[in-house]
Amino acid sequence: MPPDRALPEAVRAERRAYALFFGALLLVVALCTWGVAFNPFELFGKGDAFWTFLSEDFWPPRIPQREGRLEAILAGIGVTFAMAVASATVAAVLAFLVALFASERVSPFPRLAPLVRGAATFVRNIPALVWAFILFSSLGIGTGVGFVALTLSSLAFLVRAFAETMEDLSQDGLESLLAIGATFPQRVAHGILPSCLGGFVSWYLYSLEVNIRASAVVGMVGGGGIGLVLFSYIKAFNYHVAFFIILLIAALVIAVDWMTGRLRKELAL
Amino acid sequence: MQPILSFRNVSKRYANGAHALEDITLDIRPGEFVSVIGPSGSGKSTLLRLVNRLIPATSGHVILDGRDMARLRGADLRAQRRKVGMVFQNYNLVHRLSVFQNALHGRLGHLGGLRGLLGLYAEADKRRAFDLLVSLGLGAFCYARAGELSGGQKQRVGIARAIMQDPKILLCDEPIASLDPASAKTIMETLRDETRRRNLACVVNLHQLDVARAYSTRIVGLRQGRLVFDGAPDALDAAALARIYGPGHVPAAAPEEAAHAS
Ligand SMILES: Nc1ncnc2c1ncn2[C@@H]1O[C@H](COP(=O)(O)OP(=O)(O)O)[C@@H](O)[C@H]1O
Ligand SMILES: [Mg+2]
Repeated sequence: MPPDRALPEAVRAERRAYALFFGALLLVVALCTWGVAFNPFELFGKGDAFWTFLSEDFWPPRIPQREGRLEAILAGIGVTFAMAVASATVAAVLAFLVALFASERVSPFPRLAPLVRGAATFVRNIPALVWAFILFSSLGIGTGVGFVALTLSSLAFLVRAFAETMEDLSQDGLESLLAIGATFPQRVAHGILPSCLGGFVSWYLYSLEVNIRASAVVGMVGGGGIGLVLFSYIKAFNYHVAFFIILLIAALVIAVDWMTGRLRKELAL
Repeated sequence: MQPILSFRNVSKRYANGAHALEDITLDIRPGEFVSVIGPSGSGKSTLLRLVNRLIPATSGHVILDGRDMARLRGADLRAQRRKVGMVFQNYNLVHRLSVFQNALHGRLGHLGGLRGLLGLYAEADKRRAFDLLVSLGLGAFCYARAGELSGGQKQRVGIARAIMQDPKILLCDEPIASLDPASAKTIMETLRDETRRRNLACVVNLHQLDVARAYSTRIVGLRQGRLVFDGAPDALDAAALARIYGPGHVPAAAPEEAAHAS
């Protein structure tokens, strides 16, 4: 092992930087743990209650026997799936229209583009769950409001994603359509859409995956669907059935991820 | 004959202060094949972009087919742009669409409303696009994606698109700069033949002197945004070249390109 000073300055500087980074990380984690007043090692040490809860109250999963209960759960899964697909799709169509005005290179009003992007960023940084709470307070609970909350957050996300996809498009193909005398809608339909469709579909599938997870959570706070069904079983201390529902949700998430993965492959995105 | 394109004391200064063109006055008539030569940065691309107002002139008048481009807005501007077929160094095709669709884009300016949005081209236009592509040697590639073609083939699609516009004038910005000599020859011949056959005017920016000499009816020389030569290819002597490129900077002819002269 050569002595340290034999190493080039650049390598030593990199080592110092890493040492500093991990030292600082350790300090921050220690401070944060102290701040939340919970020692994560307690879970393993004094966490018997927690493990008993998992192994005895949750396990094994149970399919509810009473008439109509299983049907209600399956219907809930269906509603959650429908909410996710509908909100992602409506959001994608709206986001496409809005994104046209969010990119300086494409928008007929380039000066307004930063405003549109700013608004989208603002809405996006508020999670769907918070939107759901805000909307439930003003509009009451139900799948309709859950749908609006999911649509709003995916819309804001997709506006940014679509606008960036269009920014990446080379200006050349669009300039030729401008020179031809094509109108703005024509340039969109014949230049932007064919060039960006793959990117758009890819982002749409991603937001579909996100919405499946989010719609289960939004459902728990009043958005309907499987989330609401799950919450009612937890409130009734019926943990075995709750566990069965959690497994169903996991299966739904995995199935949708698998499906979107297949679609990406088939479309060669 | 009336000029199809006139520059009257045209100057262009970019927002960053660059004086791209200074007091250009120029008339171009149907049937003319005009090469614009000059060092890089002398304002050749700027000159072409002013014609269909992809960029606006700072002062002076650009008059296309009897109309001052500066005054036009919206539908009037688009109607003028239809008359100008443009061919680009980078071809500027929509790569994901077929060769056929790219050629038909030339008709977009003629299609209004919903038909234009959905690309519902007239049968006659489709037949004409197909025949044109066949005559340019692209018959076998009509349904290939434009992105999959070679450079020379892409440029022929670019020309087909420009011709589908039924333009009165063709503007070509370094159309052969990215091509091998054989493809470059095909492209220049195509441009010359189409210009003759349709009695168009054609303005081509070039940096290959010998190509300019071989194909042009007239050569225009720019230096630092000023028009320093305007005459027949024969009149382009050593003194004129020194005015355009500066003494000692006249580009040497590449051997393959010299063989183009016909
Ligand atoms: N979009 C632009 N913004 C600012 N300056 C530009 C722009 N385009 C060109 N210029 C400047 O204008 C001058 C002429 O450029 P250009 O017309 O592209 O010349 P050429 O095509 O002969 O190389 C150059 O000095 C160039 O730097
Ligand atoms: Mg140029």
